[in-house]
Order: sequence, then structure tokens, then C-alpha cells
Amino acid sequence: MPKKINLDMASVEPREQRLGTIIAWDGNSEELHEQSAYELRGQKERGKKGCGGNCRLCELSGPFTQGAVCSEQMVECQAGNVRDAVLIQHSPIGCGGGQVEYNAIYRNGLAMRGYKVENIRIINTNLKESDMVFGAADKLRRSIDDAWERYKPQAIFVASSCATGIIGEDIESITDEKEAELGIPVVPLACEGFRSKHWSTGFDATQHGILRQIVRRNPQKKQEDLVNVINLWGSDVFTPLLKNLNLRVNYVVDLASVEELAQMSEAAATVGFCYTLSSYLATALEQHFGVPEVKAPMPYGFAGTDAWLRELARVTHREALVEPFIQAEHERVKPRVEELKKKLQGVKGFVATGSAYAHGLIQVMRELGIEVDGSLTFHHDPVYDSGDTKEDSLGYLNQHYGKVSNFHVSNRQQYQLYAFLQQVKPDFLLIRHNGLAPLASRLGIPAAPLGDEHIAVGYDGMINLGETILEILAHKKFHDDIRKHVKLPYKQWWLKQKDAYILAKHPELIDDDAAEEYSTEERVEVGAHA
Amino acid sequence: MPKTKKDKCKQTNSINQVRYGCALGALHSVTAIPGAMPITHCGPGCVDKQYMSLAFYNGYQGGGYAGGAVTPSSNLQEKDVVFGGAKHLDQLIAASLKIMEADLFVVLNGCIPEIVGDDIGAVVARYQKKGVPIVSAETGGFKGNNFTGHEIVTEAIIEQYVDKFAPDKTTKKKGLINVWAELPFQNTFWRGDLAELKRILEGAGWQVNILFGYGSAGVKEWLTIPNAEFNLVVGPWLGLKTAKLLEKKYNQPYLHLPILPIGAKQVGDFLRSIAAFAKENEVKTEAFIKREEKEYYYYLEYFTDFYAEYWWGLPASYAVASDATYNLALNKFLVNQLGLIPAKQIITDNTPEKYREAIREEYKHLADDVAAEVEFIEDGYLVTQTIKQGEYGHKPPIIFGTTWERDITKELNGHIVEVSYPVSYDVVINKTYIGYRGALTLLEKIFTTAISKSA
Repeated sequence: MPKKINLDMASVEPREQRLGTIIAWDGNSEELHEQSAYELRGQKERGKKGCGGNCRLCELSGPFTQGAVCSEQMVECQAGNVRDAVLIQHSPIGCGGGQVEYNAIYRNGLAMRGYKVENIRIINTNLKESDMVFGAADKLRRSIDDAWERYKPQAIFVASSCATGIIGEDIESITDEKEAELGIPVVPLACEGFRSKHWSTGFDATQHGILRQIVRRNPQKKQEDLVNVINLWGSDVFTPLLKNLNLRVNYVVDLASVEELAQMSEAAATVGFCYTLSSYLATALEQHFGVPEVKAPMPYGFAGTDAWLRELARVTHREALVEPFIQAEHERVKPRVEELKKKLQGVKGFVATGSAYAHGLIQVMRELGIEVDGSLTFHHDPVYDSGDTKEDSLGYLNQHYGKVSNFHVSNRQQYQLYAFLQQVKPDFLLIRHNGLAPLASRLGIPAAPLGDEHIAVGYDGMINLGETILEILAHKKFHDDIRKHVKLPYKQWWLKQKDAYILAKHPELIDDDAAEEYSTEERVEVGAHA
Repeated sequence: MPKTKKDKCKQTNSINQVRYGCALGALHSVTAIPGAMPITHCGPGCVDKQYMSLAFYNGYQGGGYAGGAVTPSSNLQEKDVVFGGAKHLDQLIAASLKIMEADLFVVLNGCIPEIVGDDIGAVVARYQKKGVPIVSAETGGFKGNNFTGHEIVTEAIIEQYVDKFAPDKTTKKKGLINVWAELPFQNTFWRGDLAELKRILEGAGWQVNILFGYGSAGVKEWLTIPNAEFNLVVGPWLGLKTAKLLEKKYNQPYLHLPILPIGAKQVGDFLRSIAAFAKENEVKTEAFIKREEKEYYYYLEYFTDFYAEYWWGLPASYAVASDATYNLALNKFLVNQLGLIPAKQIITDNTPEKYREAIREEYKHLADDVAAEVEFIEDGYLVTQTIKQGEYGHKPPIIFGTTWERDITKELNGHIVEVSYPVSYDVVINKTYIGYRGALTLLEKIFTTAISKSA
């Protein structure tokens, strides 16, 4: 029996347990690939012998960390972005802070896709100190009723929190009870922040709930021209791309309706733009609903996009259409790419994003002739859920575009980025998620925040990304100026370190020296402006 | 039906469209003090959530020296939950002292350590004994919002740092005052507002410990808190608790002025009240008011043509949905300076019950001939419903609110001025809406918004 994704459990199995995910590592991209042993692990994923649980990828772990990101945030940015659903955060009010960020994202996403712009619908159960002692089942029931009375949604998602996880709230029995009462899916999503070391488990948690309670089982019809595109809120680049193969797009999860989520089982295939995001849902749709996942390199750069389109055409039986399209696209795009290459000659870039996405972006940068000798990913999945080597995105990058000499896994740790940037001195950064660009800026390095995650996808992605890079290189004037006028919050001792992981390797460097300094030394105050 | 109750405003426990952070969000009160650095002991997403909501998608204020992705955090994991996280915190503090440059460290915890019972005070005490300027503040997220957290943090710094390190705690310096006003970062315009507040107070002859923001001398300014002649609490309630603590601790009286002053009338009353309370700086106060009013009315005179004869209709009525401080301040200004008509007033900061009656009283005499009702609602869904019920006459109203009010403003065909957290559609650097100068900026903002419909 091949190892299947388990949809019987209410909670998703965290990434580190399923895939062996790590959040700190240092070396080059070939070493990381070798140590990841994708193929061996993949055999395990498929139920063959493989390396069992023994091929652990060594992970660095030090005493110092800066605030990261949690799984519940990813639930907000997925389940919270379903157009006719409501998300309930069963949590103290602090988790509700996410409503502000994900509302900004939701409103911009709606505008980008041409929908009516309106507020996100997330309700927080606002747990208090006494709820930690006595539990808060009635508050959850009340908020579910409020969600129903206020919005008459097509589905209600309920996200757990660190607090409800620790006090052991039985969310599932309440969602079961309410689902029966209201006659719509009421879906519990287990996404306690402390439960997984990496926030991408939050993607899986959302997808797990949708697979269990929303996707139509045994659909009456098949839509042979419909393709599930697993994405976030990015601009609509897949519709024009897939139109050439006579295929229609079903965007999920963000900005989808509940019906669009339900019809995923009727589609002819599933694709993604990033295996970090799509791995779980795409694999489960194939294993449990018979919708084939397009297992191919991701659609970045000429080689990646060609291979991705060919595989999509094969799966959807459109082989005859694909070759002329690829040829036409090459002819259309190549002159533009050549122009950009000239403009970008001698420029060096650095990627700091999620895992598979980074692999794709580096491919595009290398197509544009940009040097990339350093990058970081927030985490690393040594294998994806299907276990199929055709999805080995890091392997594909190494093999077709060459290795990245300084490759780091660093979970949004700004203090480490300083050393990475000193080492390779890039001209610009590509980033997703907040937190790293502010430091780069203070070092005089501009960054392109890729809020629209589709910017680099496909043939046009090369042009879009190239132009974006030229634009941000022009911003350098601002960053150079600010560099001269700010002080970094790190001590000289740290700024002198060449190895960003020195504390993980030598924890003994943290002694009480630093504490003693305060009692013995005349310190110069850092904070006084006045 | 579940056994939860609705309050007078039909509120359940549900909070749609949050309008404040959690107690841990007060890590921003630390980053607002030049030279201070928070160290957070909480889940992996807590700092990011509070930062992205309070300091990013709220005027794009930014993290600065110690906020955003700079802030050290233990990013607690399952093992910390099972075995306790005190040792983890100890390591994080030791490493932070080695890596981060700061004059004062403030350790704040989130929900997880509070529930599993990590004794952060004991961990921090070890460093305090060594003379490290470090304090601990128990800000578990379910303990209250960031207003509560702000008071917890402020008092922790006073009790554990100021009291220990201040070179002189008994001498009172004539004319020196500590100012407790807006909540940094939660109030989107706090930086510009505090700068203007300091400017007008200094203009009237006072020496000012503004304590937060650019105008503060940072951590060393905090060490002079005990030397102030008195504490000035500006706003309906925030800071009163701290002022009472200081009264007991350092024998300092306090003056509570509920109205954050906007415009010449309010600023004049404000400065005269302070001079009268202290029986000091009366002459300087009058001279300053005279000078400033000359300038203020110079500009207002030119504005008069527009306000008197703009053809295409200006709004007449308004609603405010904001924290208590801005709500009352705006109402005073809009009624007294512009003669606008108050329709709906909603305070959204979960003002402690004991202060609410006094605030209601303030609205009963916004002017000699103008009174309004104020409601206390935190749930954004009900805020929208309440605004919807307003009587705005035959013209669309101005809604002073948050980004959440954009949808209802469109529905009412009105005009929105974002004045309260979250302000996601304004980029704010040092803009102020208070004092003399801020009042003029506010006029520009209101009427630029109002006349832009035909643009």
C-alpha cells in the first residue's frame, strides 16, 4: 500500500512529521539536495522501502531567535480569503491582529482580480483569563451563531490557537454539532502556532479541512477542461496561459467561493506555482479524488515552463496544442528577454522567500543572466507529499541552472541575513513575507517585495520579473541615503561574525560576559536623540 | 442557544474587525522608547501579528530600531509547552544581551507561558541582580488589550528600572512634567501628536518628559520621572492608573485633562488649566497662546473663503468610531471649531467600566448648546450597524473611523477620514491632527476628502 495522506484524522499531520521539514541549515544547494535524499524519501512517501524515519536532515538550532510567523496566520490568509465563507479564530484577542493584515491583503487581492472590494470576514472569540480555566465551548458556539446570523455563509472555518490547544478545547465536537444544525460545512482547522516549527503547516491545515468537508465526494460530473490552480491572491496570469490549451482555471484557495472549492474533485488536473503551497492539496486530490496532479518542474524560466506545459498537456490530453504554443511563446518572449539580459548584465541578486518558490525565482533570475551566489529559504522540505522526483524543485534548479554556492535555510531571522549579505554583497533582494527587506534597506540594498506571487510565472514572468528588478535597482538611491543615517540594533560583536550560525555551533559563546558589561562598563546610550 | 450573554449594545463575545491589539501588543510601547528593546516570550506568530497590524497596516509606521522582525522572540514550540519554557527564555535573554544593543530590555510574555506557568519574573531577576537594565512584564494576551498592556509595561519599567536606577528620586524640579497621553502605534498619529504636545507645553514654559517617540531623550529621560513636579494625563482614561501609582510612589500630584486639545480653543483651555493647576507659568502661557493664535487665525482667515462659499456642498454631520482619546478630542473640535453636527459616537477601545460614566458626561456638553450620546462597542460588525442607524440629514456624512468603515461609508455615499487603528489607507510619517498645527492639517484632510468626489 502506498503511503496516503490521512484524511480520517481531524488534525493535519505537521510538515516536519510528514516531510522532515527543517528551518535552519547552511551550505550550498547541492549539499542540501544530497542530504535531503529526495528520491529515497520519496520512496517512503510512496510506501516503498526508502530511508524510513532514519534519513534525518541535520538541522541547526541556536539560542537566539527573532519573531517568526505561525500556522494560524497562513490559515487566515487562506481560509479567511474564501469569498463566501467566514473564519472564526477561537483564541484570545491577540490572534485577531491578523484580521488587519489579511484584510489589507484580501482587499488588494479582490481589486487585483476584479471582484467587489470589501472587508474580510473573520470573527475572534475573544477568550479571557477565566476561559483558560473553565474552557470556552459556549463562546465558540456563540461566535458560530453570530457568523451565521450576520453573513449566512456557505461554510464556516474554525481556527484553533495556542491557547485553545493547550487548554484542550474540543473544537471538533462543536463544529460537528453546528454543521448538523446549520446544514453547511463547519470546518475545524488545527493550526496551533506551537504545534509545528514552520508556518507552512498552516497551509496544510486549511487544505486538510477543505478536503475533508468541502470538496465534493463522488462528483456526478467531470469538467474535462477545468484545472485547479493552487495559489494565493496573485493576478490572473493562468487564465491567458491555459486558454491556449483550451483549459479553464479554478483558482483555489484564496478568493475562491465555497462552490469553487467543492468542484475541485471534478477537475481534469491540479497545478500550482509553488510546491510548498500546493503539495498537500494536490497530492490528496489525486490520492482521494482521482484528480491527477501535474508532476513537473514549476513554471519558471523557459525550461521550467516548457516542461510544466508539456506535462499539463499530457495529463489533460492536449498534446497537439502545446508544441505550437511553446514555439510561439519562445519567439514572442526571447527578444524581450535578450534586451533585459543586456540591461541586467553584471547584476547580482539574492532570494529570500519560501522554499520551492525560491527555487523557481532563482531559475528566472538565471534565465535573465543575473548572478545568484547566495539565497535563503525560510524552511526546507526535503521531499513533497507525492514523493515524485518530478517535483524535486531543488534538484531541478541544481541540474538545469547550476548550484547556489551559499544556500541558507533561515526562518525569517533578520540577524542572520546581515552575515549572508556581507558574504555575497548582492545588488538587490527578492522577498516575500515582511521583515527582511527593512534590514537590507538599511544596508543600502533594495528589495522587491513580491506581493503578487504570480509575477515570475511562465514566459511573461521572465519579463515581469526583469522589469521589476530594474525598477527596484533605481530605488537604490533611497536605500543608499538611508544607510548613511541609521544605526543597526546589533552589537559590533555580532556584526563582525562571518558565520550566521556560529551560536548554533558554539553555544558556549553565550556566557555571562554580556550581562557583566552592564555593571562594569560605561556604556554609551544608543537611544538618545534629544 | 449557547449560554453567553449579550451586553447593552447587543455585543456577544465575538469580535469582528479588531480595533486593538492584545496585551503583548504593548511591546510597541517599548519600541516607542528610544534605546529600549523588547524581548518576547511567546508563540512564533505573536510578534509578527502585533507588528503587522499595529505598526505596518496602520499608517505604515514601521518597526524602527527595535520593532518588526528585529524583536527577539522565543517562538515557543511543543517542547516548551510540555516541559515549560523558562530555560528557553533564559537562553534567549543571554543571547539577546550578547547580540542586541540597547539601554533597557523589557521581557514580555504571551499566552503560552502564562498558561503553562513559566515564571518569567524569576528568570529576569537573575539578570537584574547582575545589574542588567532589564524588566519583566506579564502581558499574556488573554489578560486584556494593548491599552492594558501599556499600563503593565509602563508600571514594570517604573517599578523595576526607574526605581532602581534613578540617581535621585526625591528632588522635585520646578516646571518639569511627565506626560501620559496617546498609546504609541495604536494611535496612528502618535509621533506627530506627541511632538506637537511637547511643542505647545514647552512653548507655555514647561519642561517636558514626553517619554515616547522622537522628542523623548529615551531611557535616561525615564530616570527623571521621579523628579517631575507633577504628572499630566491627557485623554479620557489611559495613563490614570500610572499617574496614581506615581502619586503614591514619588509623592507626585497629577492633573487629568480628558480632552486631547485640537484647535485654538481647546489648546487655550488646555494650557490655561495646566498653569492654573500648578499656579505657574501663567504669563508664559498667555504669551504663547497669543503668539500661536495669531498664526493659527492667520491661516484660518484664508480658509474662511472656502468654508463660507464652496458651491458644491460640504458635509454637515459626522460619526466617529475610534478610541476614547481621539473620539472625544475630535468631537470637541468638530462641534466647536466647525459647527458640525454629531450623529453617532462610538468608543471602541474597551474603556474600563469605571471611567465610562465620566466620559458620557463629557459628551453631554460638547458645547453650551450641543450634546451627544456615546456608545461603547468593540465588535466591528455592531459598529457598522450602529453607524448605519445614524441620522445624517439630507447630505452624506463624514465618517471618522478606521479602514473597517470604508465599506459602510461607501454604502452611505459618505466621506471617510481614517483616524483610528487600523488605518490601512494612509501613509503616516510625522503628521499630527492635534494642537494648533495639527488642527490645520486635519482641516486640510477633512475637506480634501470631502471635495474629492468630483475628482
